This record gives sequence, C-alpha cells and structure tokens, in this order.
Amino acid sequence: MTADAAPSARAPGERAASGRSHPIAWLIWTRLALGVVTLFVVSILIFAATQLLPGNAATAVLGHNASASAVRTMELRLGLNKPAVTQYWDWLSGVLQGRLGTSLANGQSVWSLVGPRLLNSLVLVVLAGVIGAVVGVGLGMFAAIRRDKPSDHALSVGTLAVTSLPEFVIAIFLVIIFSTVLWHVLPGVSPLESTSGALKPWQDPRELVLPVAALVIVIVPYIFRMMRAATIEALESDYVEMARLAGLSPVRVLLRHALPNAVAPTIQVIGLNFLYLAGGIVLVEFVFDYPGVGQGLVNAVSDRDIPQIQFIVLVLATFYVAMNILTDVVTLLATPRRRVAR
Amino acid sequence: MGGASALAACGSSSSPSSVSSAPAAAGKARKGGTLHAGLTGGTGSDTVDAHRGVDNVDFARIIALYDALIAYDLQAQNKLALAESMEPNKDATVWTVRLRPGVTFHNGKPLSAEDVIYTLTRIVKNNYAGASSLGSVDVHGLKALDTLTVRIPCHSPYATLPDAMTGYYYYMGIVPVGYDPKHPVGTGPFKFQSFTPGQQSTFVRNDHYWDTSDGPYLDTLVITDYPDETSQVNAFVSGQADVINLLSATSIPQVQQAGNILTADGGGMTPFTMRVDQAPFNDPRVRQAFRLICDRPQMRDLVFGGRGTMGNDVFSPFDPEFDHSIPQRTQDIAQAKSLLKAAGQEGLTVQLVTADIAQGTIRVAQVFAQQAAAAGVTVNLRQVTSTEFYGNNYLKWTFAQDYWYYSKYLPQVAQATLPVSPFNETHWNDPAYNKLYSQAIATVDPVARTAIAHEMQAIDHSIGGYIIPYFPPTIDGYAKKVMGVAPTNVGLSLGAYNFKAMWLA
Repeated sequence: MTADAAPSARAPGERAASGRSHPIAWLIWTRLALGVVTLFVVSILIFAATQLLPGNAATAVLGHNASASAVRTMELRLGLNKPAVTQYWDWLSGVLQGRLGTSLANGQSVWSLVGPRLLNSLVLVVLAGVIGAVVGVGLGMFAAIRRDKPSDHALSVGTLAVTSLPEFVIAIFLVIIFSTVLWHVLPGVSPLESTSGALKPWQDPRELVLPVAALVIVIVPYIFRMMRAATIEALESDYVEMARLAGLSPVRVLLRHALPNAVAPTIQVIGLNFLYLAGGIVLVEFVFDYPGVGQGLVNAVSDRDIPQIQFIVLVLATFYVAMNILTDVVTLLATPRRRVAR
Repeated sequence: MGGASALAACGSSSSPSSVSSAPAAAGKARKGGTLHAGLTGGTGSDTVDAHRGVDNVDFARIIALYDALIAYDLQAQNKLALAESMEPNKDATVWTVRLRPGVTFHNGKPLSAEDVIYTLTRIVKNNYAGASSLGSVDVHGLKALDTLTVRIPCHSPYATLPDAMTGYYYYMGIVPVGYDPKHPVGTGPFKFQSFTPGQQSTFVRNDHYWDTSDGPYLDTLVITDYPDETSQVNAFVSGQADVINLLSATSIPQVQQAGNILTADGGGMTPFTMRVDQAPFNDPRVRQAFRLICDRPQMRDLVFGGRGTMGNDVFSPFDPEFDHSIPQRTQDIAQAKSLLKAAGQEGLTVQLVTADIAQGTIRVAQVFAQQAAAAGVTVNLRQVTSTEFYGNNYLKWTFAQDYWYYSKYLPQVAQATLPVSPFNETHWNDPAYNKLYSQAIATVDPVARTAIAHEMQAIDHSIGGYIIPYFPPTIDGYAKKVMGVAPTNVGLSLGAYNFKAMWLA
C-alpha cells in the first residue's frame, strides 16, 4: 500500500454531478455501474491467468499420482477437457443463476468451503480495522496536541520504525514475544480447531489476539500520521485561533472545531487501510494458520481450483469497489461544503 | 508396551535401521484424552476417501479410518491385517484370501468377502492410484467363495500381489459395499467425526476395533493442517499441537525445548531422475559419472544433519529381496571426469528441475550442483512450484527429482521402471530387465524370486537412471505427555501415523 497516499479531499464524481441529481446518489449509481463492469473484467482476467499457470486442477489434485492415464480420467471427471471458453461460460452462466459451482479440488460446494472462511476473515478485518482506526485517530490527535514534545517525537519515530517492517515480520515477533520464546501467554497459531470441528472466531477469542494485534500494528502508523498532520493543520487555522481567542475550552476547540476538519482526509486513509487489510491478511493468516480467505486463496491457486479462485477474487474485488464507494460517501458527508448540489 | 517391544525388535534387526530419542515408557497405557496432531503436507484437495489419498495428511486420516488386507509392520515387513491368509495357486494366477472373522465396520456391518470385491472393483473402475497395482487382476472374475473367502484371479502370474497391496501410496483400505466418501466408514481404529479440507479433521475412538493388542487409546484425535514448518513448530512450542511431522533438521533444537524428537530411518526415496532416452543421459557413462559425483555422506550431513541411511542407487532397502552385497558407491571425481571425457561430454552443462516436493529436495539439489562443479559439470537449478512440477511436464523432465514412499522392490519396479509403468520417469526400458521382471512375478518360491530380483538390482546399480544418494529419515516431534510413539522404516512420519498406539500420560 502507499504510505503517503495523497488524501484526496475532492470527491470523485463531483464535477460530473454538477447540475444534475443529488451528488451522493449520482456518485453511488455511477460507481456501482462501473463496479459491475470491473467485476466482469476481473473474472475474465482471473480465468485467463489461471489458464496460463502451469498444470491444471487434475495434475494439482493428483500430485505425485499424476500418471498420464490418471490425469485423463480426472480431466474427464472435472470437465477440464472442454475448451477454455466453454469452461468460462459454464462458470459465468452458473454464477448469474446463483450457482457458485463445486470445487475442482475436493468436490464440495464452493460456498460451503469459502463461506466460513469469509466470515473468519471479515471478523479479522473488521476488528483490526476498527481498533486500528480508533487507536490511530486517538494517537494522532494526542501527538498533534503534544506537538514537538518528547511524547510526540517518540510516537512519530516509533510508528515510522514499524512502517518499515513487513506484516509477517511483525506477526513472527509477536509470536516470539507472547507465545514461544519470551512468554507463553497466548496461542502462537490460530487454526480455530476443536474436538468437534472448526470453531467460529468468537468462540475462542484468545486466538484472535495476535493476528488482530499484528494487523493493527501495521495500519496504525498510516492513520496516525495522517491524523496528526491533519489535526496540526486544523489547529493552526484561523478559525481555531479564533475559537481559542473566544475563550473556548481546549477540549471543545479540539473536538468541535479542529476534529471535524481533520477527519475527512483521515477517512480516506482509513478506507485505504481497509482495502489493504483485504489483501494484507493473506500473509498474517498464513503465519497464524488462520482459516480465512487469504489462506483459502493460496490453497485454491496451488490446487488450480478455478471456481474457488474466481469466487474469492470476486468477493475481494467487490469489497474493494464497495469500500471505495463507502469511503467517498463518508468523506462527502464529513465535508459539508462539498455535499450540496450546485 | 507395544512401542518398546517394536523398538527392541528394530534395534536387533539386521536391516540398517537406527533409532534416536527412544520413547520413554511411563507406566501402563491408559485410555482417554484428545491428541492434537499438527501436520504439514496437506492442501485444499485433501480427502478422507479411502482410495484417493495423495499427501501426508491424507494418509494420516486414511490410516486412522481404514484397514487394508495386508500392511507393513514398523520394520516395513508384510503383516496381515484384515486378511487371515493370502495363498496363491501353483503358478500365482489365482489368489485365495481368507478374511479375519468378527471384524465390523464403523456402522456395525460385519466385514465380508463382498466388501473386498466392492473395494477392489471401486479402485479399478475409477482408475484410482491403487489401480496401477491391480493391472493384472481380473476384477470381473472376483468371487466370494463364502462370506469370508475371496478368490482373486489374475490375467497373468502375479506372485507379488500381497507386496503390491502393502504400500501406502496405493493403500487399499477395505470399504463396505455402497461406500460413500461423504460419510466415510471403514474398519480402522478411529471413527470419522468431521473434516474440512486443508484445515482440520476430527476422529473418535473405535471401541469395537478388532486388533486390541495396543490401542486404540485416545478418545479423540484432532488433525490440524499447517501451511509450513514455522507455524507448525510455533503450535508445538505454544502447546497447541501434541505431535508434529516432517520436520527439517534445523527445527530440532527448538522442538527439543518443548518436547521430544522422533527420528526414523525410512525406506522412501527422493532420487534424482535421469531420462535414459535423452541426451546427455542416453549415454550410460554420463549416468555413471553423475552417480560418482555424489558425495553421499556430505549430502546426508548437509541436508539431514547426518540422519538417514546411505543410498546405493537401488531402491527398497528394507525388502528381504534387497541385495545388500552390492558394494557401496562412493564419490570418485577422477573417474567421473574420465567417464565424461570418454563420452565426449567434458564441461557438460545440464538443467536440474527441483521443487519443494519432499524434505530436503531443494537443498540436496543445491549440494549436488556444488559437487558437480568439481567434475567440470555445470548444473543450473530450475526451481518450480510443486504444482508446476507435477503439472504437464511431470514424468517428462530430462533431469529432475521425485519422491516415493517405501515400497517393496518388485512392486516399485512395476510402478517406475518398466515400459508399462505409470510413473516411468527415467524412461527406463531394458529388454533383459523387463524379462527378468516377468520371470520374477511368475515365481512363487521366495528364494528363487530373490535371486532374480538381485539380478535386476545389479542392472539398476550399474546403468540405471536413478541417483539415490540416501534414504531420507523422517523427523517428527512429540510432546512429553504423548506415549506409545515408535519409529517405523516405511518412511511415513510418526510410526506411519500410528495414532492407534499413542496415549496420553
């Protein structure tokens, strides 16, 4: 992800909206239409990419057992002997009728395989995103008030240091500190296992602690830095100066006058971080053996399991599109001067 | 205790098997508890189907759920399981199998001859892996002579049928008539409870198991898939996994801090495969030179910290038919150079295709490349993913690697070194060798058959297409509270995933 993604305070689609319907409704509709086109293009690209990968589901499933005759039998069983275009059409027409199909790797329905994983990842992303946003915004404001004091410098240097570490390194550090070497207080892996089958994430919250912590540590620096910069800018502005001179309490100045103006660019960064989380959880899930979509996608790709790959990628793409729209809408709502139709 | 006695037998046997970290016997085995097994080697295409197993985690589940007619003991020798006897006729064209009485499936149905017929037919009809061992069995002629006796006719003599039914790769777990893999039922020591491919599976003890000599003890068995060794070892150290499999030598110190290490000399192999029908390996002198390039002790030291047994380019070291009198090949760079010179291949450059398909494969490829430099041979490594390795070019690579679980010699030949073998990766086709094989499988007398097998092994050793530098060990970890863990020579982890004998102190 881009560390210093420029906070675009200008809402895309705004110009096009001039003189027409309410800008927010217009933005949502055009974005949704574009989103559907995006998903369609993505599905074609993914399908084409899987065709270019060496091997297919039959050889991947058979592995060492992939003798010529076994591969032929398996290809017939899975329908891989049909032309690629036919295979794609079969998949697409199935999806349009609400059938996600069955996994080529193990014959189970794609929904039954991916559904629980989606839920697991969603829990991870939402928890990490919300905690990360709250912590990042809080620390950002704190540092802005304490600008150029030791605590501000410590926070800035600390977050900068963390930014330079990839997420799996942070994850492994956490495991070393809390599970395997220094202390043995938290589970080092989070497979959500039990004696009766897979658990839901909230059934064993201890297993969520380290994966969520790793992701929070990754996203907090970006939110923190944006929030700090935006708050400082707001605090230096004339109207805050005015409010101060008018004798308002520092807390009221900060919360009522500075914060609303600092929050718009930060929302963009929070949105970007949610987008990052949707992809960034892959490595963290891998380190913790957490049964989420990231791990599912890795498995599906190595199995050349096209129906599963397609579904997971489409869900991720939908998440991207939806988060982008949501971020823009929230930014508009947080920026009063931009939400009036002109 | 079963583990301890098996160990004693292991130590005194003449086969080259050694054992480290003897499992400590702590009192009498007791029932109860849940064992968490953290295993690597699984994928999203994992299965609980008795006949579709491919990877380690599949076999862990399959061994828990199903029994075959005949299996291996811990020394990799044949041991009758569901069969009480297997007798051939004079020319080995008809086998008569007598089943053990009083065995029931997990659903309460008694084991009968019809189930064996159903199982073998299912394997052949669907072309599952086991079908390659049943090629000469006439499945249409299978007949139940009575409820516990099956007649197995063969199209051609097949004296090695019991041997061909023992290997894990082609494991022929007996399933009941009408078997549905969605609700897997077998006769094994554990009953199915739940399964999520690539994630986890759970099993409960079969209280009606036919073999009560040593277990099953555990109430519940939970098998969890781990994507790699790091997370697996983390799970072990933080107490979330009680037993872990397929470790590399580098993990040993960390694992030892939290539990015990189980090292076993396996008979499986991770050979280099040279295609004898393609240049430069179509010249036997080049193949000889490549085998002489290997400093085998160094390879074993660098890859497994000195564990495992030395290889001599002939497979199946624990088979009684294996010829231990063939002199051990050692590194001889001077001779390798002169052979290459005689073949006109001085300064040869080859590409070696390697992938992370088994413990140590990539590392031994790197070591080989370095050792080859001394003989003036440039080995360019091409590392591919295991999916690509087993993709469209599998069995076609000119110079590559592979891995095999342990199998007896003649069944291994049937799989790998005959023109009709399904996995003839070296493209080996030697008329004298083929003829010897036909003779061997028509020979019921084990002494006469061993003599023929030794002739074939002499050919393998002198001009074959495999380089077998060592037989890799299996290195596993088990928590201090886990008892009844014993090593095996069959090359599968954790005593061939022998959860039946494990109990918790």
